[in-house]
Amino acid sequence: MNDTLRTGGQDDEAGGTAGTVSAKEVVMRYGKIMALDHLSMEIPTGIVGLLGPNGAGKSTFIKAVLGLVEPQTGTITVGGLDSRQNVLTIRDKVGYMPEHDCLVEVMTGVELVSYFGMISGMSKNDSIPRSHEVLDFVGIGEERYRPISSYSTGMKQRVKLAQAIVHDPDLLFLDEPTNGMDPLGREEMLDLIERIAAGHKSILVSSHILQDMERVCEHVIIINNGRAVAQGSLKNLLGAQEGRMKLVARGIPEDLASFVKYLEKEQKVISTSEEHGQVTVVLILRGPSGEIFAAAKNAGVQVRSLTSDLSTLEEVFIRSV
Amino acid sequence: MGLDPIRYKPWKGQRTEHAKRFLVITDHVFRQKLRSKWLLGIIILGSILVWVFPILIFSLSPHDSLTTEMMLETLQNDLLFIFVLIAASLVCADLISEDLRGNSLVLYLYRALRPERYLLGKVLGAILVMSLFTLIPPIALGIAVMATQTGPDYAASAEVIARTLLAAAFTTIFFVPVGMMLSSLTTKRTYAAVGIFMFFFTMTIVAGIFSESDINWQLLGPGNLLNFWYDVIFGEPLPEGLSSAGMAMMTFILLVPPLIVTYRRILSKGVGK
Repeated sequence: MNDTLRTGGQDDEAGGTAGTVSAKEVVMRYGKIMALDHLSMEIPTGIVGLLGPNGAGKSTFIKAVLGLVEPQTGTITVGGLDSRQNVLTIRDKVGYMPEHDCLVEVMTGVELVSYFGMISGMSKNDSIPRSHEVLDFVGIGEERYRPISSYSTGMKQRVKLAQAIVHDPDLLFLDEPTNGMDPLGREEMLDLIERIAAGHKSILVSSHILQDMERVCEHVIIINNGRAVAQGSLKNLLGAQEGRMKLVARGIPEDLASFVKYLEKEQKVISTSEEHGQVTVVLILRGPSGEIFAAAKNAGVQVRSLTSDLSTLEEVFIRSV
Repeated sequence: MGLDPIRYKPWKGQRTEHAKRFLVITDHVFRQKLRSKWLLGIIILGSILVWVFPILIFSLSPHDSLTTEMMLETLQNDLLFIFVLIAASLVCADLISEDLRGNSLVLYLYRALRPERYLLGKVLGAILVMSLFTLIPPIALGIAVMATQTGPDYAASAEVIARTLLAAAFTTIFFVPVGMMLSSLTTKRTYAAVGIFMFFFTMTIVAGIFSESDINWQLLGPGNLLNFWYDVIFGEPLPEGLSSAGMAMMTFILLVPPLIVTYRRILSKGVGK
């Protein structure tokens, strides 16, 4: 067991990028239930969204990375360190913001953050100024001197984030970070996540609010039934169907009908809708777009727009699970 | 509230050793307990009733040296047992139950802190607080009596103080394992506090009922068990017919299995099962 000292914020000696996580063929069973089924994934630096329906295995995966549960087979490495053999060293590099209430309500915000900073290996002289620093960062002002029991849900979320980053982890797990927050608070939380990620951290965000994920994530992993069913950069996942376009055209109904007939024959049409003399067609281009404009001209139809049509994360998620 | 445009700043300090981090918990428990008015009240009242009077009486009355009888008379006082029991109930009740109630156990265990070190931190914290009542006052009594003795045999007095130290240390840890176990079995500290008190109280009652048929039933009573250990520590003979093996077994049962149960509870709760 490698329980050696380390300096905060440095890359590890093993050569891996400090916060990257790699899982290979990880199997985790609870009795007859297969929580992780030969799960393989790579979590790069940056903000990564971990999506999946309830019971998909997200929490089990996080626990396995933290060494709280031990997979039956497979390997998980964090920054090149094996999660079984270097549990404590890895945990020094990790911050975790649980979804559920987990704060000690009789303590004040600053007491709690500095206390858990010390348990993460900070000296008292370091942890007190650092806890003020992270509380300033998350936007907790004078309230930090009040017992946590008097905090609003949004303030508790911020303190949960503060305790997770007080020891400057390289890898941050955020479980439903915007849970229970009002729209402004949600926006601020997402802003905080982006600011933390700017410090070259790996941040794994698990959330059911897909708009939030779409807003901050650079990379997405979708888990279902203990397997990673889709993973990649958000850009690639959303634009996975190359050539997918949205066309809007106007004209008299007969001309529009013949134009749509042409499109259905020559292109791959996904959907068509018509409203107030305007037709919207989602299609996948099979050739140069000039052919469409020429066909529209011949049919006497005016093309108002032809733009690439990206999927939403919600569509990708529903398709994947 | 609202965010200031503050950039996230990394921390570049040196981490402490993993093996020593449980001391943060010990320190926290100690400081937190010293804020409890109820506990401080019990410790102060108990100290006055159990320790201050003997210190005054033994120190002011003429004596050649500190004797075993003086210490045994004080340690085997039923009032001491009652106050130690109340103090243990107040000290141990919320140590784990509050972490379970607030789900804060996960905040400890995802950090580089093994469950056994979390438990060690809590146990040491409880022992440290208990020692304010069970360890420091008897040593103070011994020193006060030795300081006012008229005879020349300071070595004999020092030996009694050494034995007192051992007996007091045993008293200090005696109630903690069961206290921790009961604290880990509930999320309500009131239940835990009442449970700890009732556990030892019920055993005392049962021991009292059955001990007329066989003296070994007395071993079930934690107060009796402590008194027998004081006899052993101070070199006094045990009552006739008392089984030494039974005494050792009962002590083991009160000290070891409760800690194992507590450890298992922490493990299972720590991973959310």
